[in-house]
Amino acid sequence: MNILDWATSLQAYLVVGTCLFLLGVFAVLSRRNTIGILLGIELILNAAGINFVAFSKFRAAAIDGQVFTLFVILIAAAEAAVALAVILRFYRLKETINADEANILRN
Amino acid sequence: MDVDFPREIHDAIGDGAIMENGMKLVLLLAQVMTLVSALVVVLHPNILYATIFLLFSFLGVAVMFVFAGADFLAGAQVIVYVGGVTILVLFAIMLTQWLYEAKLKTTLMKGLIPFIVVMGALGPILIKETLKLSDSVSATPPEKMGEFAALAKTQLIGQALLGNYLLPFEAITILLLGALVGAVWLARPE
Repeated sequence: MNILDWATSLQAYLVVGTCLFLLGVFAVLSRRNTIGILLGIELILNAAGINFVAFSKFRAAAIDGQVFTLFVILIAAAEAAVALAVILRFYRLKETINADEANILRN
Repeated sequence: MDVDFPREIHDAIGDGAIMENGMKLVLLLAQVMTLVSALVVVLHPNILYATIFLLFSFLGVAVMFVFAGADFLAGAQVIVYVGGVTILVLFAIMLTQWLYEAKLKTTLMKGLIPFIVVMGALGPILIKETLKLSDSVSATPPEKMGEFAALAKTQLIGQALLGNYLLPFEAITILLLGALVGAVWLARPE
């Protein structure tokens, strides 16, 4: 199959979504910086959105998947705002945003 | 629903069978850009550059949305992510660690276990299942997909939000309000 034709197929959308998800999981697991972890979560949410939109077109030909993607985008925005506020707060407390330093409950 | 889109737009965002090669190339490039930028986001040692490449990844996803017939979502993606979330993250970086600690602490050893988890276990399973799934899904007829892609999505989404999805819509407005007020309260000066 021609790669240009493949790019428009459902499979291409799903593969891109899966790869984005894997990269996001890798970022969440490997980053020590809390903002780096947040970036990984954004990638994961985008991967979910791609899958919703792809199935909305290729399977259902209906709007429902796009509505859910809209919800995902909104939740991602709210999550980013709260997460960054928490990070700012944490930075004032510890002078670092390294996730390893968030161990007050452990003592 | 009758929408008088020009035939060319219908063809451009419709089914792959009648899409021009140039348009397909744009889609392919967008997909490649999304993944390459995401790779930089994951691996770049400087968080500032990682965030800026996240912006390109989001833009690639927006282009993919356009080609899947989700024009309204592509706009929302650009406005919310590119104009909102990325800028917010850049502000947070500059407020916390801009001058002296911009390097991320991701040494090779710390990345090794996540790499094994992702590439050794999660990745192969997910990719295999994805390929199996996309083969087994019975595709909608191309004409129906083209018809759907050419519909005016803003109208449909508006109707869905105030119809079937009214409760989630109201819930999410309250969530957004609570999250934003909470964020302002958390980040308030001492």
